[in-house]
Amino acid sequence: MAQSAPDTARKYDLGFARWVYENVEGGDKLSMCMQCGVCSGSCPIGTEMDHGPRKLFMMIRAGMKEAVLTSNTLWNCTKCYRCVVRCPRGVPVTYILGGLGTKAVEMGYVKTEDTVRFSKAFWWSAKTFGRTDERLVTSRYHFSGGFGEGVKKSLANLKIALGMFKAGRLHLGAPHKVKGTKNLQAILAKAQEIEERAGETER
Amino acid sequence: MANTGPESQTILVVGGGIAGITAAVEVAETGYDVILLERDPSLGGRVTRFARYFPKLCHPTCGLEINYQRIKKNSQIKVITMATVAAVSGQRGNFTVTVETQPRHVNAKCTACGDCARATEMEVPNPFNYGLDRTRAAHLPHEHAFPMRYVIAPEAAANGEGEKMKAACKYGAIDLDEKPETFEIKVGAIIWATGWKPYDAAKITAYAYDLSPDIISNVEMERLAAHDGPTGGRILRPSDGEPAKRVALIQCAGSRDVNHLPYCSRICCLGSLKHAAYLREQYADAEADIYYIDIRAHDKLEAFYNRLKADPQVHFIKSKPGHIEIGDDGRPVIRGEHTLSREIYETPYDLVVLATGMEPTAAADYRPPVELIQDEYGFIVPDDGVDGGMIAAGVAGGPLDVSMSVQSATAAALKAIQAVRGV
Repeated sequence: MAQSAPDTARKYDLGFARWVYENVEGGDKLSMCMQCGVCSGSCPIGTEMDHGPRKLFMMIRAGMKEAVLTSNTLWNCTKCYRCVVRCPRGVPVTYILGGLGTKAVEMGYVKTEDTVRFSKAFWWSAKTFGRTDERLVTSRYHFSGGFGEGVKKSLANLKIALGMFKAGRLHLGAPHKVKGTKNLQAILAKAQEIEERAGETER
Repeated sequence: MANTGPESQTILVVGGGIAGITAAVEVAETGYDVILLERDPSLGGRVTRFARYFPKLCHPTCGLEINYQRIKKNSQIKVITMATVAAVSGQRGNFTVTVETQPRHVNAKCTACGDCARATEMEVPNPFNYGLDRTRAAHLPHEHAFPMRYVIAPEAAANGEGEKMKAACKYGAIDLDEKPETFEIKVGAIIWATGWKPYDAAKITAYAYDLSPDIISNVEMERLAAHDGPTGGRILRPSDGEPAKRVALIQCAGSRDVNHLPYCSRICCLGSLKHAAYLREQYADAEADIYYIDIRAHDKLEAFYNRLKADPQVHFIKSKPGHIEIGDDGRPVIRGEHTLSREIYETPYDLVVLATGMEPTAAADYRPPVELIQDEYGFIVPDDGVDGGMIAAGVAGGPLDVSMSVQSATAAALKAIQAVRGV
């Protein structure tokens, strides 16, 4: 059937669902989804998502690979786990969204997504200090899109920064660190090594 | 089998709901002796608490009355209320069963005149109405009780109120010193008709059952709609007694859910359709929203579904709600996603009815004191497969509606007869 409709063949990858089941973290449970809507209905920021998890899972089944991997649903998830707790079929929704995000980055579907740049800034701080430093994360994120954009975004957020400072929520001076950042980095390096090793055997 | 033949041909039926009653009369009318045990003070179980049956919307009192007449006319049925099975030993044809009874404090001389109830001011939560209201400490379980006999709450028997009741009784029917009793009976086969209990809605924390009196369960809705219920049959908001005009009916509340009951209870869809029908009968301007994953109206029951679908004031919303919150005006607000349009809704209601499922009694608050083959949810496998001496009937064996329970009980009656005849 796919051969007789070349246009849809490009838009719909009929092997996509199977690929997700086998390659994305938590994907093996995706076939349990019964489309009840509890995940999207429970999501505190569901209105900020283009599709929301339930519809995204249906799109996976439909084979809409490109639309799924470029969806902002993967990036706007705050990982609150409300959907995981409530899912009546035990689908690990949050893991699947995270796993799809990882794959989307690896496969080059995500380049300029705002939340990706934010995630990178966040991870940089977590990795370097073992803590998130609001000031450094924000500025790193603001300037990740170039100097001009950085200045513009920083000025736009000045009022919030001042408010946070007054409330004692923004600290100046050296960033907070965990004890033994060297050890933390050794742990992370080891984790990355294990992950890469696992990836090789998969291939 | 090693034994030469059954030593007893008496059949024990445990549970006096619609399945147990049916099994008992079917067996007795075939000529066998039956002992029917019921844990409550009156027969009828869950069915007697329903306002009406689906799909014909007739009253359960009708069918129960016919069955009570069959019991009364048949000398081979012995009914023991407030009784449970404490122990079972032996095998097919030769069981020894230990029965434990709780004191009713009212004996067979009772004429149900009600003088004892009028003699006291003391009230207790009314179990017949699922605690939606209170009743006198001496009360008739409900107006259609069988046996038609009062019962005195244990806490009242122990304090001075009991003496007042006893003094008021003209017939000497009150025995405040009655104690729990234990005795043994010999039977040849046992039919377990232990039935079900409504799943505890408070366990579904996201649906806020504990946070508002206007969030009720489906069995409570039956009591609101019943002429002998707390509101005399009018569907009123429990919080302020105002008519409930905007009503949400939430399907699969705790059913088909790995966090609660993983299975479908089979009756709740039709139950909620029936609730929408009750509502539309009572108020011309009422609207009902039915939140569903899929509507399971099997076979001929689909006609009832189609009837409700044709009503423009009954709306079907394909969505399992995420959660319920209490709005600023105190009304429950349901939040979720319309799965057909992908819109997020937040809708306030006068009354929210959670269609909770059936939990087998044999897995909840009464576990039979004998090894039975139960499935992963606690339903008893209908034919125990060991020696054929123990059979499940009705919802004890799996979620069923009333008519299917009756069929299951009739089948169990035949199996029990075969067991005591050594077939």
